Amino acid sequence: MKNQFKILILALVFFIFVLTFYFALGTNNKNNTQVMVSKKLPRIELTSLYEEEKKISFPKINFKNYYIINIWASWCVPCRDEHPFLMKLANENKVKIFGINYKDSKMNALTFLKELGNPFYEIGIDSNGQNSIELGAYGVPETYLIDNNGIIVLKHVGPINKDMYQKILDKIK
Amino acid sequence: MKLFTYIFFLIFFTQSAISSSDREIEIYKNIRCLVCQGQSLNDSNSDFANDLKKIIKDKIDQNETDKQIYKYLVDRFGDWILFDPPVKITTIFLWIIPLLVLISGFYVLYKKVSFIKNRDD
Repeated sequence: MKNQFKILILALVFFIFVLTFYFALGTNNKNNTQVMVSKKLPRIELTSLYEEEKKISFPKINFKNYYIINIWASWCVPCRDEHPFLMKLANENKVKIFGINYKDSKMNALTFLKELGNPFYEIGIDSNGQNSIELGAYGVPETYLIDNNGIIVLKHVGPINKDMYQKILDKIK
Repeated sequence: MKLFTYIFFLIFFTQSAISSSDREIEIYKNIRCLVCQGQSLNDSNSDFANDLKKIIKDKIDQNETDKQIYKYLVDRFGDWILFDPPVKITTIFLWIIPLLVLISGFYVLYKKVSFIKNRDD
């Protein structure tokens, strides 16, 4: 009887071990960049790049369509790579894009836009990166697609590429 | 009397300043720098780490608890940002298994010792 009890306990411990490893190995325990997806966009307020007195706040209230928030900087090389995709989205009037200019100088940011074109409906300045952290951003570039309820439906870390561009189109159609 | 009051306030404020910075460092040590290779915020000087440090410092100044600060970070960056996995239904066994192994080890040791003692007697 005593031996049977011991075997039962051992079997139980073994079973718990197997169960734990089975589930633990199946889950993603690496960095998950999609934590903010399906969550409400945190409230942030930024100063406009063009008018110092103007404030740009998120989430947009009474916005009936999807909109994009793109975090960018003139010193960020991958931002140059994704810029044609942003221009394409803006020129085709598919979705409004709001920019967050990250730790940049105003002059460099304006030169960047003059050189490559301005796809942004409005641009806010995040001079110290604190507002971007509020959104759960790691750095630049980062892109968020927000629905009309202020929910983040898509988040992309890194430059927008062909696949991401298509994903955005699929979501907003 | 005035001198004592000054000394008291000096000690009190110095003490609180020290404990606040100790607390900051304790929190930095528990937070993973997500853009670095296995470094904590405390070890890193990256832009991301410095931004998070500033936010944590501000939150401490606003009298937020450690729990509130960790929650703020986990809400935005997930559990991976913490070096210690939080106790949740999915991680409970991670915390229980070492304890079970330890208890079983002590039990086996106790049984062995009693067996040897009985045999020698």
